[in-house]
Order: sequence, then structure tokens, then C-alpha cells
Amino acid sequence: MTHAIEVEGLTKVYGQGQRGVTPVLAVDHIGFAVRQGETFGFLGPNGAGKTTTINILTTLLLPTEGAARVMGRDVVKDSYGVREEIGIVPEISNIYEEYSAWDNLMFTARLYGVPRAERERRAKELLTVFSLWEKRDTLSEGFSKGMKRRLCLAMGLMHRPRVLFLDEPTSGLDVQSVLAIREIVRRLRDEGVTVFMTTHNIEEASQSCDRVAIINYGKIAAIDTPENLKATFQGMQSVEVAFCDECDAAALSGLSGVREARHFGDKWRLYTDAPGMVIPVVVDWARQQGLTIASLNTLGPSLEEVFVQITGLALPARAEGEGQRRGRGGKGKQQ
Amino acid sequence: MNAQALWPRVRHETARAWIIAEKDIRIYYAKPPVIMWGIALPFFMFLSWSVGRNQPTGALIPALVAITVFFTASSIGPVVIPWEKRVHTFERLLTAPLSLPAILLGKTLAGVVFGVAVAVLPLVAGLALGARITDALALVIGLLLSAGVFSSMGVLFSTLPGQNVGSVMMPATLIRWPLLFVSGLFIPLSNLAVWGQVLAHLSPLTYANDIIHAAMGGGSYFHPALDAAALVVFWTAFLAAGLWLHEMGRQKGL
Repeated sequence: MTHAIEVEGLTKVYGQGQRGVTPVLAVDHIGFAVRQGETFGFLGPNGAGKTTTINILTTLLLPTEGAARVMGRDVVKDSYGVREEIGIVPEISNIYEEYSAWDNLMFTARLYGVPRAERERRAKELLTVFSLWEKRDTLSEGFSKGMKRRLCLAMGLMHRPRVLFLDEPTSGLDVQSVLAIREIVRRLRDEGVTVFMTTHNIEEASQSCDRVAIINYGKIAAIDTPENLKATFQGMQSVEVAFCDECDAAALSGLSGVREARHFGDKWRLYTDAPGMVIPVVVDWARQQGLTIASLNTLGPSLEEVFVQITGLALPARAEGEGQRRGRGGKGKQQ
Repeated sequence: MNAQALWPRVRHETARAWIIAEKDIRIYYAKPPVIMWGIALPFFMFLSWSVGRNQPTGALIPALVAITVFFTASSIGPVVIPWEKRVHTFERLLTAPLSLPAILLGKTLAGVVFGVAVAVLPLVAGLALGARITDALALVIGLLLSAGVFSSMGVLFSTLPGQNVGSVMMPATLIRWPLLFVSGLFIPLSNLAVWGQVLAHLSPLTYANDIIHAAMGGGSYFHPALDAAALVVFWTAFLAAGLWLHEMGRQKGL
């Protein structure tokens, strides 16, 4: 068995056969496979079907059609067996706030049948890894959001699952907690644990995932490695330039080879099919205008841009007449 | 599943159910809704009924014990399950390697322990005030079965829509309240109108009150064995209905 998760024709319709309820097709005949030890990102806008899919894979919901297997076990016919193999960290940290961190882990260990001798050793190890050892006897209701998240993750790993489901693992967390969780995911990959992660954070997926699937309107729109997905959209290459002085945005858009100029903070991103050709044009133009270039880079499309392109979502709102804005570059060394 | 594999699975599930019950006992017994709906309410209801009535202690205590076990045991399910659904810890149980019946058994056990433990208090107080036990076995069986029936009734109530304790507990109380008046607690069954006597046969509280009365020398309307059998039937029916409704709700994502 090389696949940790296999999904074939999976479909979920809510409200089917219920009187007075309009059926809603949440997941529409999707199929994918996740290799053992892989970190797999599942991306999609709100309502795309991410949570429904994860709920079916974790046996919380029955599919309307299709099949799914986790570690070779069918999620419908052997849901009990599936639950033995998986750990789950839902979007909302569902810890027992009336319990201390230690008691939360002990309860989880007993629920999963972790032998008594192993329980305390594992709890100590996880609390140390997640920087919660000092707070082990403190009631978790007083924990910060990041600490609760880390405790929830520790609970999900207590029984050493072979597949870990992470639903929006870093949503709303401070930078320190985000980095800690990212590091944990990296270690899990090293330990051979399969991680299935849903996230809104495209950068998160780009950095952590071996492959990503993009789901939209209940269907898989794309599935590949982050870099391959980016390569599919070469038309979204750009030259990013920052000037030390104000410049005429309309003129930038009109430069030879530039398809579109967009303002991002103190920089301008010039979208082009040929970055190598645009760079000397920009440099010449800046010299003619008497502008000092603070920085100049070529950029491939970000996973975020790929996501927006695939899902057809609107790009982040641009100010009216942005193309006519005048921008001032930041300070920096001219390249 | 063959018979050889069934027994270890049953042992495994029962052990996990007890782990859930233990957790509920530690976390939820002291929650304000449990104290209010499970202890304060029956206590004050009993006071309002008994104060000023010139009845011997022996006649009052069995009714107090029955009311107590009724309210306390049936308060755990409608408080704990909506609470756990609201904070999403119920999902944690649903995705652990155990079945829904084991989860609901755990919730029921927590109610049974709570019902019996709290009902012992008026019983001990009653004994100190002169009440007596004439059939200890019937009392033990009656208390345990009654706590089981009312606890599983609470689990059944918890299938009422809503993740808010209040939105589940209010309708649950509206169902519990009328049972007090058709179960021989305040008015002896023989004094009820015919329609009242018919309704009394449909109320599990009738049999709980009757067997406790019998065990404390107060006489009984039915034979205690019939009371016990009726309680077993109610317990089974409530567990089955609760399990079915929870499974339905789960599939709808409630």
C-alpha cells in the first residue's frame, strides 16, 4: 500500500430526500490520492467543500456516493479502523478547558487505549516539544489561542497516528505559534506521518506541502506540487520594481512588454510574458525619468495568484484608478 | 463481526464509555446548569409541595428520593451533550475509535452516578428522621434502574435541536414537569381519574416511585418485579430512540 488516502468519485449532497429542504451539492465526484508520508494541502475558498471532505475522511459524515479509504480502510465499512489510524486537529481547538494540559493528554491517551507506561512518557515528550511543559498543571481555559492550538495538536498526536488531519492549523495565530506549528509539520513529515492539511493560507501550503489540491464548487480544480502549479501559469510572471522617487504609473503600464502594472505597498509589479526583456526597458525608462531604482526583482506567479486564477476569485481590491497612482519607492540598493 | 471478536470489542467499548463518564463527572457535575436543573429545582419543588402538609416522614421520603433521582439523572444529558457540541469536544469523541453507542453509554453512566449519588442524600436524611427501608434489594435495584431510565431519557432529550443548554433544557423541563402529576408522587395513583391512571402507566416515573415506595414500606400499586421490568423496558426504549436520533442528527451534521 503506497497511498495513505484514496478518494474515488466522492460526492456529498446535504438535505437529499428531506422534505422541504433544497439539496445542496457540497462535494461533486472528487478523486485524489495522498501518498504515505506526504504533506498534502487541500485549498479552496469558503464553501468549496473542504470541510465536508475532511469530515467524510474522518468518518464524521457519510458520503452520498463514491468511496474513500484511509490506510486502506474504507471510511464507511470500517470507520472504526479508520479512527484508529488518524489524528485530527479541527479548526476550532476542541480541548477540555476545564482540564489542565496534562489531563487533556491523559484523557486522550486513555480514549485511544495508549498503554499506561507509554502515556506519561508520550505526554511529557509532546508537552516539551510544544513548549507547554511549564504549564502542564494549569487549567487550559487560561491558555492563549496559540497555546490551545498547540495543545490540540499535541492531543491529535498522542496516540501516534499514521495520518494527521489538520484543519486550518495556523488560522488566527501569532507568528511564534505559526512557526512552531510549521516546524512540527516538518518533523512529522520526517517521521513518515501523512499530513492532510486544509488551509486558507496559501503561503502556508506553498511552504509546507509536497502537493496541493485546489477544490472549488465541490470539484477538484487542480492538483499538483506548488511549483508545478505555479509553472502552469507562466503568464503571471512579473518584474517587481521599487523607486526611491514618485513615478508615473500610467507610463509604467505603457512600457514595452508590460501587460499590466500593479501597485503593492512600496513596489510596482509589472506583469509580463518576458521578464528578461522588460528589465532593460524599465532601467532605461528610469534613467530617462531621472528615477533611482531601489530594488528590482523578477517574480514567478505566487501560489496565491495561481489559486485566484483557478478558483476565479476576484483579486484583492485595487483602488479606483490605481493605474494612475503615483508611487514612491522605498530606500534600498539599486540593482 | 464473529463472536470471538465481539467480546473484546464489548469490553473495549465499555471501558471507553467509563472513561467518558469519568470525564463528565469531573468536568460537568459542578456546572451551574446541572446544579440548578438537577439539584436546586427538585429540592425547591419538593419543599413547595411538602411544607404545611401534615404527612409522616415515611410517606414523604420515598417521593423525595424519586423526584431527586428523576431530575438529577435526567439533567446530565441535556446539559453535557449540547455543551460538548457547542465547544466541539463532542466531535473529538465521535472521531475516536469507539462507537456512538459507547459514547452515549458513557453519557448515561455519568447520569446514573449523579442520580444515585444525589438521591442518597435525602435517603440518608430520611433515615435519620425515622424513615425505614423494608426491602434493601428492591431499593438498590429501583434506584439503579430509575437512574438508568432517567439518564437515558436525558440523553434522548439532548437530541432536541440546539447547541445551547437553555434551548435544550427548557423543552426537556416542559416534558418532565407534567410527569410529576401523573406518576403517583403528589396524588396516589388510586385517586387519579381514569385518564390519569392511563397516562400513569405510560410514565416511567410511576414505576420508579412505586418501587421506591415498596422498598421503604410505603406499599405499592404494582408488584416491585413488574416495576423493575417496566423500568428495563423504558431504559431500552430510551437508549434505542436516543441512539437512532443522535445518528440521524450526526448524518445531518447537527
